Amino acid sequence: MRNKWLLVMMIPAFLFVILFLYFPLAKGVVMAFQNYNMFDLTNLHFIGLDNFKAIITDPYTNFWQILWNTLIWLVFSLVFQFLLGFTLALLLKKPFAGRGIYSGLVFYTWALSGFAIGLIWSWLFNGQFGLFNDILIRLSLIETPLGFLSTPKLAMMSVIITNIWYGVPFFGIMLLAALQSVPNELYEASTLDGCGAVKQLFYVTIPYIKPTIVSTILLRTMWIVNYPDIIYAMTNGGPVNSTNILATQMINEVFKQYDYGQGSAFGVVIMVILFIYSVIYLKLTKSSEDSI
Amino acid sequence: MINRNKKIAMSIVRTVLLALFLIAALLPLYWIFVTSIKAGNEIYTFPLKYWPEKPSFDSYRELFSFSNFGLYFRNSLLISLSAAFGAMIVSILAGFALSRLSHRRLKGAIELGMYFTQTIPTFIIMVPIFTIFSFFHLINSRIALGFVYVATVVAFCTVMGKSFFDRIPASLEEAAKIDGCNLMQALTKVILPITLPGMAAIFCFAFINIWNELFIAVTVLSSSDKMTVPVALNSFISKTGISWGVMGAGIVVALLPTMVVFGIGQKYIVAGLTDGGVKG
Amino acid sequence: MKRVLVALLVFMLSISLFAGGSSESSSSDSSGKIKLTFFETMTSPGRTQVLQNLIAEYESLNPNIEIELISPPYEQADNRLSMMLNSNQELDVIEVRDYTQKQFVNNGKLLDLTPYIENWAEKDDFMPVAHEISRNVDDTPYILTSCLYVKALLVRTDILEKYGIPIPTTMDEMYEASKQLAAANPNQFGYALRGKSNTFKISDVLMFGNVGDINTEMCYETNDGKYWLDNENGKKAMEQYLDLYKNGCPADSINWGFNEQINGFISGTTPFLVQDPDVIGSLEGQLDPSLYTVVPLPVGTSGYRYLDYGYNGFAISTTSKHPDEAWAFISWLNGSEKNGEFCKAYGPLPVFQSVYENDDYFSSDKYQAWADELVAEDTIFVKFPIDSEKYPAWAQVQEQGMQAMLMGTVSVDDTIKTFKEYWGY
Repeated sequence: MRNKWLLVMMIPAFLFVILFLYFPLAKGVVMAFQNYNMFDLTNLHFIGLDNFKAIITDPYTNFWQILWNTLIWLVFSLVFQFLLGFTLALLLKKPFAGRGIYSGLVFYTWALSGFAIGLIWSWLFNGQFGLFNDILIRLSLIETPLGFLSTPKLAMMSVIITNIWYGVPFFGIMLLAALQSVPNELYEASTLDGCGAVKQLFYVTIPYIKPTIVSTILLRTMWIVNYPDIIYAMTNGGPVNSTNILATQMINEVFKQYDYGQGSAFGVVIMVILFIYSVIYLKLTKSSEDSI
Repeated sequence: MINRNKKIAMSIVRTVLLALFLIAALLPLYWIFVTSIKAGNEIYTFPLKYWPEKPSFDSYRELFSFSNFGLYFRNSLLISLSAAFGAMIVSILAGFALSRLSHRRLKGAIELGMYFTQTIPTFIIMVPIFTIFSFFHLINSRIALGFVYVATVVAFCTVMGKSFFDRIPASLEEAAKIDGCNLMQALTKVILPITLPGMAAIFCFAFINIWNELFIAVTVLSSSDKMTVPVALNSFISKTGISWGVMGAGIVVALLPTMVVFGIGQKYIVAGLTDGGVKG
Repeated sequence: MKRVLVALLVFMLSISLFAGGSSESSSSDSSGKIKLTFFETMTSPGRTQVLQNLIAEYESLNPNIEIELISPPYEQADNRLSMMLNSNQELDVIEVRDYTQKQFVNNGKLLDLTPYIENWAEKDDFMPVAHEISRNVDDTPYILTSCLYVKALLVRTDILEKYGIPIPTTMDEMYEASKQLAAANPNQFGYALRGKSNTFKISDVLMFGNVGDINTEMCYETNDGKYWLDNENGKKAMEQYLDLYKNGCPADSINWGFNEQINGFISGTTPFLVQDPDVIGSLEGQLDPSLYTVVPLPVGTSGYRYLDYGYNGFAISTTSKHPDEAWAFISWLNGSEKNGEFCKAYGPLPVFQSVYENDDYFSSDKYQAWADELVAEDTIFVKFPIDSEKYPAWAQVQEQGMQAMLMGTVSVDDTIKTFKEYWGY
């Protein structure tokens, strides 16, 4: 009886998610198996796995490189976002004068759109009038401007730095909140046991806030893989594919080539990868939780 | 003595780190602001000037007179506030229910279904949303856009909401029940007041995400007098490039509401999350 | 279960109720006015403003017509239009361009304008090339050409003077001058290379002239029907282009789009810029007009310059319920009078002979070069294969191929091979 009422309370949320996400998604997935190319829609039909074959074997945009780029983009962004965010949260844990204002100023980047951030940073990294080049030249570290976004290795680094900048506040806020919920008794007890600050961090703090760490990392992973905005605004995957990730190639298929079928196929690939990742990730984190 | 030195050293390190974080966070914003108050030709001179010779607010004037930015700003505010409010209500209900659900497997499945929405790339649903909406004559309807926005944030907000309620013992409701409240009354009279910070956090999260959304807005809306701020920003990019002055001004103005919401809300976000703690 | 269904029903009803009030389905409102929907794709805030003023003027001349302008951001506009057309949304006037013309025709979304054009008073004033472009797909006028975009060379005269370099008239001279400039000073370069987004529209135009004998109907073939990039001249043209990048352009230009090209030109880093006439407008207010000049595109070793017409035009959607009214509006908006006005405000070249004859704006000052170039004997106009199904993906393939070649990760020969295979030769 009670469960029934609880389910009724969830109906609005279900409706929103089903009608506006899962239903369109189902249609999108169907498109991945059709020759849904806007160039000629007069003979629309199912073509099995052809779209998937096409995107994987496309000789002009190397699928495996895109996959590799996605991995690099994810790992570096995630690791640094997390580490810096965690550091920031630890720094902010103890109250100090002006902490409220300080955290407002340092966390605001969370409130920006990825697209705007991409634009801002492509302006900072600009090879002609970019602030970073100017600073480096003034410091006499370089003589002529660097092509931050036009040299493949620097380009990947530049977009990742931007993404790190964007993601630090998310971890900062979430982990700060979690840190503040750690009961003081735990620290007192561990101090009595003679734990140093570092030991305390690893044996008290991290285990206690582990659920938050697990769920924020999972969510962030999904967002990093899924959100193309920053790369789209900064390099759009270039130069020579060096920053092209699955999500940006999906935009290219849709916006530039009008091939919605192959675009959707990329979307399905992204979802399958994230799904497998989540299952494995949750299994791994669960089992280690049991062992603690 | 050694201890004291260590303490001083620690606090120096801490201050330096905090300062570095602050600089890193503010430098890009500073730079975009400086760009927006530079005169047209001053933007493209090298070496750069770190403060314009003659600050000019022409870009801002142009932004509001030329491109109707004020209207877009109002549109965005309207749609973000109402959709965020809707999302908050819906996800508070769902979050509470999800937290109190005793059927374990059902609970797990629902939660997984909510998480799974986060793996959906916007672009795979963009075209379907357009075709479905055009079938129901919902293209160019701001209400329909609001509904999609609620849907895009509701999953995460529900999970957030659930974790707040997880920390509030069900015994509170039992007590309310004994006092003669039904489930709904228990929620509104007893539970909600305690979860206000959590609600604020959900609202802020929803507002910020919706305020910044670009692609779905372009998909659903047609009329330029219904357009939102991100669409307006995007429209400064044309065949003939970006006009950096106006773009900078636009970005700065677009930032203001989220900064305000965030400034007011962050205290609650942290507090709300602390009471709840986002739990997987 | 019942409750769930009821809730679902109520929910659906409430959506459709809300939506009914705000959707854009009715094509004629209660006042008896005819409402036309007009979709603009080449949007920029300035251009949209110009169009809105023209629409207001038309509405005041025709009180029974009401025109709603839809202008999404430039980057999304073509796609949004595709989606609208393919889900049969009611649209009347739409803006079509070289990238979308074939696609819309394939899907049967454009009305054949033949009957209208035949009875059109201004058809003889409409330039032959404009007629030809209107019929670009299936030899049927599905669009009414409105604006032309043709490349010319913009030169920063102050910079050239400083280094004592004359304005180039041949491609080889421009290449040499670029390298000379780049050698003179570490922060000085020559040519503003376009490294990304539709690179081929510029890089190919540089090469055509040195290859020569290009098939005007299909610019990737010579007149004997063979692919030309792998012949002797083609290969040399590629090598020269690579040499130009290495020794005459900023390394960063591999990632330059329109914006960066313009910035390079404004700052003087790259005093040579090959662009369309609408660039003049974007330079306004940022660069003193006395500091630069526009000259016809330098000719290649073949003695010719090969140009293509970029264009946009207006079409009537097959979903239109008021095609006659739509035509009346298009033929007014794209008549000789307004066409000149529109192009003046926005930058591209107009499509009526009388505009050039009556108004010396388009044949003087900065526009002189285009006026000369259009009629010059050493100009040949060629077409990109816009009706090929390979065309939509070509931009990305070409961009990546060229970038890899310019960076030296792929050899010139391999790049040529890749491109040749792409086009199926």
